[in-house]
Amino acid sequence: MCSLKLPEPMFRPGAEEDVYAAVSDVAERSFFCLIDPCDAERFAELAAGHDDWLMSTIHFDDGQCTGSVSCRLPGALALRLFDAFSGRDPGDPEPLRAEVLDLVGEFANMICGAWLTKAINHRTFTLSPPAVVALDRVEPAGLLVTIEELPCTVDVAFGRVPALTTV
Amino acid sequence: MRILIVDDSAMMRKMIRRVLALVDVPIDEIFEAANGAEALAILQEHEIDVLLTDINMPVMTGTELLREIASSKRWINLRRVIISTDGSASRRDEAAGLDVRCYLEKPFSPEVIRDVLLEVA
Repeated sequence: MCSLKLPEPMFRPGAEEDVYAAVSDVAERSFFCLIDPCDAERFAELAAGHDDWLMSTIHFDDGQCTGSVSCRLPGALALRLFDAFSGRDPGDPEPLRAEVLDLVGEFANMICGAWLTKAINHRTFTLSPPAVVALDRVEPAGLLVTIEELPCTVDVAFGRVPALTTV
Repeated sequence: MRILIVDDSAMMRKMIRRVLALVDVPIDEIFEAANGAEALAILQEHEIDVLLTDINMPVMTGTELLREIASSKRWINLRRVIISTDGSASRRDEAAGLDVRCYLEKPFSPEVIRDVLLEVA
């Protein structure tokens, strides 16, 4: 699992595990998907097979602390999550792209909320609506996992970050 | 029972609808709103029994919506439930002051929604 640089002293030891626990909780409870840690080498192998990535970013802010949580996942995983969440059968018509983007946004929203609840439970954060953008490729960064054998990254950043234009 | 689902994610509203269809609770009608302002408009027009609302939404947040509701005697019997990714202690304390009956954290299972509806029904 990759190290996340979290500012002290806001976060207790084991903060990285909080991020993994949040992703695991969301993937397994809401999307009924299996999640596993992934090293950079394995991630690069898996990522090489995908050229249609989506990145969903949520900004959090409580007036004193601000930052973002970004999830990057290939289109195949987005569709897998969509099917699990909506109950769509593989034989059903393809979902609208707007529905898939909405779903990817909600996935990141749930991870961000679950992580903040675990990591900084005593503070009240405002979360931005998700911004979802398309990417051709991703580099290993942040927490690397596989969800149903497909690659996914979850990155936590602190401080002001540029706003993204949603696709 | 008439239920109003308030969430800026259409997928989440659809998912909650799907879960509501699975629970063994009599439901007459389900309404949807994408933010607090839309929810207020529906509340003005219809008699709603149970409000299921998210917190972080554009235009008008769930907290702002709950404050509006709490400021009027018209909705004194409206049962209020928060469904949010934000389960912080401070947010729960805030909700407790706004007559919120249940606070549900996402992700949730269908059984939890059923239990909440049975509790507030």
